[in-house]
Amino acid sequence: MDQGRSHRIRRRLLRAGHFIGLFLAMAAICLPGLWVVLNSFRPTVEIMAKPPVWIPTELNLDNYRAMFGGIGEGGVPVLTYFRNSLVISLTSTVIALLVGMAGGYAFARYRIPGKSAIFVGLMVTRAVPGVALSLPLFILYGRLGIIDTHFGMILVYVALNVPFTIWLIDGFFRQVPKELAEAAEIDGCTRWQAFWKVEFPVARAGIASAGIFAFLTSWNEYALASQLTRSLNSKTMPVGLMDFTSQFTLNWGGMCALAVLMILPALVLTFLVQKHLIAGLTFGGVKG
Amino acid sequence: MYRMRLPPWLVLLMPAFVILLAVIAIPLVLSLYSSFTAFQLTRPETISKWIGTFNYEKAMGDANFWAAFGRTVLLLTVALNLEMLLGLGLALMVAKVTRGQRLLRTMMMFPMMFSPILVGFQFKFIFNDNVGLLNNALQSLGLSDVAIPWLVDGNLAFIAIVTAEVWTSTSVFAILILAGLFAIPQDPVEAARVDGCTPWQTFRYVTLPFLMPFIYIAMAIRSLDVARAYDIVQVMTAGGPARRTELLWTLIGRTGYVDARMGYANAMGYIAILLSILFTVYFFRKLTTARTSLGMGG
Amino acid sequence: MKTFAASSTLALLAGLGLASVALAEGEFAGITIDAKLIGGQQYEALYARIPEWEAKTGAKVNIVSQKNHFELDKEFKADIAAGSITWCVGSNHSSFAPQYPALYTDLTPLVPAETVAGFVGANIAAATLDGKLVMLPRAQFDVSALYYQKSLYADPARAEAFKAEYGYDLAVPETWDQFRDQAMFFADPPNFYGTQYAGKEEGIAGRFYELVVANGGKLFNDDFSPAFNSPEGKMALQWFVDLYKAGAVPPGTTNYLWDDLGNGFASGTIALNLDWPGWSGFFNDPSASKVAGNVGVAPAPKGAAGVRTGWSGFHGFSVTEACANKEAAASLVDFLTNEDSQKLESAAGPLPTRTAVWDHVIAQAASDPYKAEVLAAFQETAKTAFPVPKTPYWIEASNLIYPELQAAILGDKTVDEALQTASDAVDGLMRENGVY
Repeated sequence: MDQGRSHRIRRRLLRAGHFIGLFLAMAAICLPGLWVVLNSFRPTVEIMAKPPVWIPTELNLDNYRAMFGGIGEGGVPVLTYFRNSLVISLTSTVIALLVGMAGGYAFARYRIPGKSAIFVGLMVTRAVPGVALSLPLFILYGRLGIIDTHFGMILVYVALNVPFTIWLIDGFFRQVPKELAEAAEIDGCTRWQAFWKVEFPVARAGIASAGIFAFLTSWNEYALASQLTRSLNSKTMPVGLMDFTSQFTLNWGGMCALAVLMILPALVLTFLVQKHLIAGLTFGGVKG
Repeated sequence: MYRMRLPPWLVLLMPAFVILLAVIAIPLVLSLYSSFTAFQLTRPETISKWIGTFNYEKAMGDANFWAAFGRTVLLLTVALNLEMLLGLGLALMVAKVTRGQRLLRTMMMFPMMFSPILVGFQFKFIFNDNVGLLNNALQSLGLSDVAIPWLVDGNLAFIAIVTAEVWTSTSVFAILILAGLFAIPQDPVEAARVDGCTPWQTFRYVTLPFLMPFIYIAMAIRSLDVARAYDIVQVMTAGGPARRTELLWTLIGRTGYVDARMGYANAMGYIAILLSILFTVYFFRKLTTARTSLGMGG
Repeated sequence: MKTFAASSTLALLAGLGLASVALAEGEFAGITIDAKLIGGQQYEALYARIPEWEAKTGAKVNIVSQKNHFELDKEFKADIAAGSITWCVGSNHSSFAPQYPALYTDLTPLVPAETVAGFVGANIAAATLDGKLVMLPRAQFDVSALYYQKSLYADPARAEAFKAEYGYDLAVPETWDQFRDQAMFFADPPNFYGTQYAGKEEGIAGRFYELVVANGGKLFNDDFSPAFNSPEGKMALQWFVDLYKAGAVPPGTTNYLWDDLGNGFASGTIALNLDWPGWSGFFNDPSASKVAGNVGVAPAPKGAAGVRTGWSGFHGFSVTEACANKEAAASLVDFLTNEDSQKLESAAGPLPTRTAVWDHVIAQAASDPYKAEVLAAFQETAKTAFPVPKTPYWIEASNLIYPELQAAILGDKTVDEALQTASDAVDGLMRENGVY
């Protein structure tokens, strides 16, 4: 009897601890972000107030209204930035996935001399910091005339994301038994058909997870974009954030409003694919 | 018909090779060359002024460079380990939840939606000593009656930067480790329980070894990506004050673009890239070992 | 692609209905001018006037880049390095201009002498490098004056306490020594501070520079060897150190840049604030600032030599040496800095650089006491304002100087050590570049 009760109490304590821990962790994760969202609805005088204003007395859409307003009234060409970001991020993600699928398939299915060396070699290309890369890339792009174009940005982001997509997708194809594809080939499929009909569907989740990582990287990248974009032709949203700064001033409320517009699509996308994401990573990563 | 003679794996890898060659390798050769010259941005003719290893010697003999180097290694070590521990804890807690997990997982990834440049501004305002969120909170709660100079004091500034870095990147660890938790076969866990292992023993000797490959993957990925911390640190402290938070990336960025001394910046950049490669190879090795011990080698 | 973007930009601008009808002289018909213009809310209103110039001359303007000045500076440097100067008109700034000696052409033969004569003489002098007039200033002139909370000077008890402690009457400071006394007197950390200063990068280097000059010293000798390791330099640095040690400034001030200063003063927690004209509207706007209605503005205080501080700068437009249609480009630059353009820009707050427009804005402000006070203070300070040292290595030198200033302020080094180290480093830089 007694033992049973102490057991129950312990279990309850554990459950409460779990709940409190989870709550605190989620608070730590979400609060700094929600603070940004909240600031986008508040006038600057309240954000930077001292003594602080903890309970907002005034929430309004002024920052958003100003952002969509005309030139000279605090307007920023948000829609153009949004379109540029979307075109560049989506296209580069799709291409990186295709290239990554080809590469990942090669690593998973073929004997390659010096495999690990090539693999690590591919990976470390991602370690090159944007600062070190931006100038030579700029000179090269200048010669080719692709500065400030969607094409130029897409190319950079594909290169940035290919190593990681190869890694994840490679692990995933390994998960698919070779026999499955072979069986399909015996049944009269070409290797190409076998790939699409048998191996690809199983690997779909892995591809989704590689895709979300690639998308977020391109969507949020600043260092290279600030060098290789110049005007409305190709400026992306992270670069657009800097429109709220001038030599001596910084409009934090406005910046937050644009930030919210950046976060929303990424959040929705993540929510939609996160189921695949977990499944994808589960197999993709380990069976290297 | 010539193409048929290429092995199929090479054909499949060709697009990746071509793109990486064009966008990463060729520019890197260019900057490698310029690191042996007195190249200054504002005087393009200086790119042909070959000065041998002068820039490298200058970097090697520069105390500020080595201080930044040491600080970067320290930041990498502290941040990666903290992210790993916190990510592990978070993943374990989320994995236990049965209802509403989908929502929790999305919330867990919330910081990944924030562009690093935005995170920099965000934490700069949070850690502002006078009107910042954190000091205001501490003072309102009566926990502190002084303005703590978060971004100025050497140790506190380091903590502030690590906090911003950990906040953005713990999600990556958590999501990868969570994936690992779902992949653990249930048989060994059951067996351990039947054998009378305590929950801690089960975790330590059964669960954790299975998770190690995931942890090393996350480490490797993150060690590739930490150069992105440049945006955050540049906005928060720009390496200052008095070089107290100077990292390799802020030093290189300022030397290259503000001072326009690209040759020297590239020389420092090359030393920095070697550092990244060392970290990556180290974790990759660890990953291979962990896989082999689980019999998943390949 | 480019033409498409250009025409859509045009359509956008024209759609705003700001393009007024003008005489179609068609002087530059068929010419397209590529321009790199500074972006940001404060600067873009002016660009709505471009269609008017286009209509008048028949030329077209194609804005190929629009970002903030620091990013634009990087881009210019990268352009020079890559040899890709394919554009004609660029935004420029007096503090950045000395860095690109060969990029921009001399405007003297391209614009009429009477046009140049319409600008404030000191501004034209600052825009002239090695005898070349490299830019025409727009109405974005910056010098710092003293903002303060008026209520602090209206309290008799406080005034009495001050006199008992310091031996003279409490009044808005006219010298930097008085400023220091009062900042220490007003400070009540962590809720209220006497003052604050920009503590990093060009901010602290510039403030140090102007204080050295105000104390009667120099930053550089005529051959650009460092001259700041002098009694005047030490006195200037000591001033920053004293305020920091006494707790009269927020402890985070060494990490502040201009936006932190502006937000700090607007939060009502700073007594005295040396700041730029661009903030004047913000500080007195109740929806943005807690000190609205309580803001006083006075000319910048004087240093030990009786000289006002007056580190100044301004934005302008330049024409590249590589430009194929220099006349057309110069005509655009002229247009963007003419009286109407300056009136448009200065209506929003920024200070003009044309004598006639100064008169105009002062007349306009006659009915607004706050605005009149602001203009009077800035005009007085502008009289003795001076630009940054005209060396291509100014930015680089300031990057060597400022970490040492910070080290002294934070107590890592003594004033003497810090200035010695900085002086040696700058000397090394100048020698390495063969300046002397």
